[in-house]
Amino acid sequence: MNQPLIDLQHISKSFDGTMVLDDLSLTVKENSFVTLLGPSGCGKTTTLRIIGGFESPDTGKVIFDGQDITNLPPNKRQLNTVFQKYALFTHMTIAENIAFGLKIKNKTKSYIDDKIKYALKLVNLDGYGNRSVDSLSGGQQQRIAIARAIVNEPRLLLLDEPLGALDLKLRQDMQYELIRLKNELGITFVYVTHDQEEALTMSDTIVVMNQGYIQQMGTPESIYNEPENAFVADFIGDSNIVPGIMLHDKLVEIFGAKFECVDKGFGINKPVDVVIRPEDIDLVEPGQGTLSGVVTHLIFKGVHYEMEVTTPDGFEWLVHSTDLFPVGKKVDIHVDPFDIQIMNKPASEDEEAIGVNE
Amino acid sequence: MNKKLLSGPYLLWMIGFTIIPLALIVFYGLTDKTGAFTLSNVLAIATAEHAKALWLSLGLSLAATVICLLLAYPLAMVLRSRGVGAGSFIVFIFILPMWMNFLLRTLAWQTLLEKSGVINGILSALHLPLQHLINTPAAIILGMVYNFLPFMVLPIYNVLAKIDDNTVNAAKDLGANFWQTFWYVLLPLSVPGIISGITMVFVPALTTFVISNLLGGSKILLIGNVIEQEFTKGSNWNLGSGLSLVMMIFILISMALIAKYDKNGEGSTF
Amino acid sequence: MGITNIPMLNADIVTGISLMLAFIAFGISLGFKTILIAHITFNIPYVILSVMPKLKQTSKITYEAAMDLGASPIYAFFKVVFPDILPGILSGFLLAFTMSLDDFIITHFTRGAGINTLSTLIYSQVRRGIQPSMYALSTIIFLTVLVLLLITNFKPPKKKVIPGMAPAGAGAAGLAGSPSGNPDWEDPNKKFQKIQRGAMTIAAVVIVAVVGLVTIKNYSITHSDELYVYNWGEYIDEEVVSMFEEETGIKVTYDMFETNEEMYPIIEAGAVRYDVVCPSDYMIQKMVENDMLAEINFENVPNISQINPVYMEMSKAFDPQNLYSVPYCWGTVGILYNSQRLEELGVEPPDSWADLWDPALSGEILMQDSVRDAFMVALKKLGYSMNTTNRDELEAAKQLLIDQKPLVQAYVIDQVRDKMLGGEAAVGVIYSGEMLYLQEEAEALELDFDLEYVLPKEGTNLWLDSWVIPQNAQNKENAEKWINFLCRPDIALRNFEYITYPTPNQGAFELLDEETQENKAVFPDLDTLDNSEVFLYLGDEEDAVYNALWKEVKSK
Repeated sequence: MNQPLIDLQHISKSFDGTMVLDDLSLTVKENSFVTLLGPSGCGKTTTLRIIGGFESPDTGKVIFDGQDITNLPPNKRQLNTVFQKYALFTHMTIAENIAFGLKIKNKTKSYIDDKIKYALKLVNLDGYGNRSVDSLSGGQQQRIAIARAIVNEPRLLLLDEPLGALDLKLRQDMQYELIRLKNELGITFVYVTHDQEEALTMSDTIVVMNQGYIQQMGTPESIYNEPENAFVADFIGDSNIVPGIMLHDKLVEIFGAKFECVDKGFGINKPVDVVIRPEDIDLVEPGQGTLSGVVTHLIFKGVHYEMEVTTPDGFEWLVHSTDLFPVGKKVDIHVDPFDIQIMNKPASEDEEAIGVNE
Repeated sequence: MNKKLLSGPYLLWMIGFTIIPLALIVFYGLTDKTGAFTLSNVLAIATAEHAKALWLSLGLSLAATVICLLLAYPLAMVLRSRGVGAGSFIVFIFILPMWMNFLLRTLAWQTLLEKSGVINGILSALHLPLQHLINTPAAIILGMVYNFLPFMVLPIYNVLAKIDDNTVNAAKDLGANFWQTFWYVLLPLSVPGIISGITMVFVPALTTFVISNLLGGSKILLIGNVIEQEFTKGSNWNLGSGLSLVMMIFILISMALIAKYDKNGEGSTF
Repeated sequence: MGITNIPMLNADIVTGISLMLAFIAFGISLGFKTILIAHITFNIPYVILSVMPKLKQTSKITYEAAMDLGASPIYAFFKVVFPDILPGILSGFLLAFTMSLDDFIITHFTRGAGINTLSTLIYSQVRRGIQPSMYALSTIIFLTVLVLLLITNFKPPKKKVIPGMAPAGAGAAGLAGSPSGNPDWEDPNKKFQKIQRGAMTIAAVVIVAVVGLVTIKNYSITHSDELYVYNWGEYIDEEVVSMFEEETGIKVTYDMFETNEEMYPIIEAGAVRYDVVCPSDYMIQKMVENDMLAEINFENVPNISQINPVYMEMSKAFDPQNLYSVPYCWGTVGILYNSQRLEELGVEPPDSWADLWDPALSGEILMQDSVRDAFMVALKKLGYSMNTTNRDELEAAKQLLIDQKPLVQAYVIDQVRDKMLGGEAAVGVIYSGEMLYLQEEAEALELDFDLEYVLPKEGTNLWLDSWVIPQNAQNKENAEKWINFLCRPDIALRNFEYITYPTPNQGAFELLDEETQENKAVFPDLDTLDNSEVFLYLGDEEDAVYNALWKEVKSK
């Protein structure tokens, strides 16, 4: 994690007058696992396709290892892509699929054979070489697509929602598989997904995107624990986003109750958004907490109970807890100061609109 | 049970008007005028004039098929990359010309190619030597290509349109240039369409008698003309049926090819 | 798929022939219904191929859901499945309609008396020149459909799905593993689609209604009295047919053939039961010998007295006792030439058949595209009888025709006339009767060249076309009325003025002006035609020999 491998500089792209990327800049360091995360239409796949060379940006530059590759066709780029729905060549066997890129590069037969063997082993599909594509399951096809890409020894592997078509169990297995591969091969991964759990599990760095802008970029922990705006907070995990007033440093007022927190520098009596994760809310007996309410909903979720607590102002708090509080019980809400995340109000109405919808 | 009954009328119709008629051709083709069994009608294909008509038909229709393929494939590629909607495309390339009658369309070429026709008119206006265009094999090939080209474009376009963009991108991504992508990926994937297109052009071209009549001045005898004349003029239906049987061998070969290469009906024209 | 695809993959000619054989075998006389059956048969695959994919896309679940909600199977089909597959049905309809409209080959083999589709009508006109109305009609159809298609295919500017920006819900659909539907009909603009579908439906209904009405108008009027006439193309003044219908109240179904050889199998197979036919001499002989003709009851044809006895005498060559035929037209075959064109080529005007072998005329010769006429030219040049059965003589004639083939521009029949008028060729073999028409037409068109007619000195074909009644005629008395009507001098004159072929009708001849009577190109003196002969029927075997030799010529 040292040298920048990919450097996107002020990329803009629009289709038929619709702005998809707006002055986007992004640096991906060598040997990192970067995930572009966002809802449909946020521009993440377009970013990936611009790196891959399948789209060219309207403005801006793509720098690869110090060289400007903005106008280089995909077949000349030292990177490979694992496509959504795999895009395997159905008229070829598994081995032929894997050998495709190597044959194009005129590698010797023995080299190619070795590589196929190695790649199949790597993706745990030893001996599948002569099978047809149609005979494989979705997960197996996915591994072949990865094998096909990595035999070319790319310095950068682009993955476009590669697990989107798999079922939950398989998806989780493949997540570990990908992490293992990444560590074994030492290749830089740029990964696109709309699944926040996937992003949190695998990445070194998550880039949250919405409406063509980068909303926040950072490690999974920082994205989850310190969302910079309502959109990120809402998109990553469940959260309670409530309006508050920053009375002064380290004290915020929510629905008339004063909460201690750790944030500073917002000024005095400043309206803010407050994010509190459901699992960070402690329910306590009346009189022991900061804000009073009544349990109005209760669902058993397996690892925890999901409850809704309605406070007198009408707000329904989402609470995750392993302790059971039956519906109708009066409770108080308590939050530890470091679990309260203060954010500025969104600058544009757009951002807010998206944030609330999600 | 109930559903099978629903297909009854259709099956009866097909047996009555497809299977039985074809069986009649076999019957006529293998009997003489008295109804006795004979192979002579089929073997008549070996006589000099029939064999020549057959070879000529094969030659001209092969040429027309190859030309159609060469014209249609690039067109289909362009249409694919433009992402033209299949629905409106079928209508405009395929159906619309058919509303200008087939014979009139072909006759228009007669007017163009005639000795005192449009093309020679332009040539003479430019003081260029007049060309002998009409009543030549080339004119017949032109007529075939002109009439049957849509039958080649459509199936190829249909298979190409079904190929995922990412499959093409994957090939590029793995280092293939335009021609390599075409040769190793697009072409093999479009084989069902190509086979279907070849059949849809080759069979009607092989068996045409109208185009050779209109653009060949009745000087060029194709196997279709021979068969047509045996039925409408020569009044030897047995011989006509026998020759039809020979021709059906080629049709069956085409059907077998389609069955082999286009199992899923991907390359079907419509 | 199996048999479903047969009619589509099969060659049209095989489909046409097989259906024709079947209709004849089943005793279904060729006509409107046979065309209809044939068209239905070859169009079924197109409809199936259009509807099937839509049907496969329609998920069974929605149908089952409808039933679950209490719909009967039929109600569920019409309310749930049918709207889904409607686009397939409409495109199948359009496709089948189009293929049917455009079809020529299958119709060609399965049509019967008095029925022409646009295609077969055009084909029958090809050799005599297409009437402008055909072009006009085709253009109107074309434009109508173009406008219709533009309306129904116009798509409102829709939001394009941007690559890389998966349409909303696609991810979820992918997760659920449900196949994504046909993008074609996923247009979000449902309302416009409805309008389009509506327009398509209305268009379909209108087309069906119009076609249906026309069909009913044409074919539903039943006449108690009918007459099926089978005649050469352009061989009657159409006014005469109307006059006959008016005078007698008999509905005439009029059909045309191009050559004797084409007419014969139709009559022989009884595929269409014609009541009165007009073949040539040798073909009448063949029909007599094969017992295909009915004796004419001359009591019903009093006007037979108007026919010049010379021609009744001539008829005896093929109808020895004057039992079966009544002469209609007669004439010779000669060479028509474009004198200016010949001058340009530096060729003397022809006076013999031998001149048609002049290498200077390469690509300038129009030969007749029928066996006997073509061989007549070669045999006469060689000085043989045109009715020869001598193999060596025929072989020599065949060789001669093969030698001539490179010089020939085209083998045609009635097209000689239009091609010569168009200046396409320098010389053409033509029936004498065309002369008057040609000269009038040349004048009307103000051509810058003259067309002349010459009877070759080696002698030629003296031919006679006569009305006969086939054995299987169903309206024999009406046929006799028809023959009698045509023998009336005023009618014969009318016909002569229209078709300009010499009439054997003395009464009509006497009504002509003197100039025409004296026109030797039209009415040559019979005694100058010493070398000329009338075609004789030579027997089926000899016919086959001629046909085989002719095929050899054509295939060289």
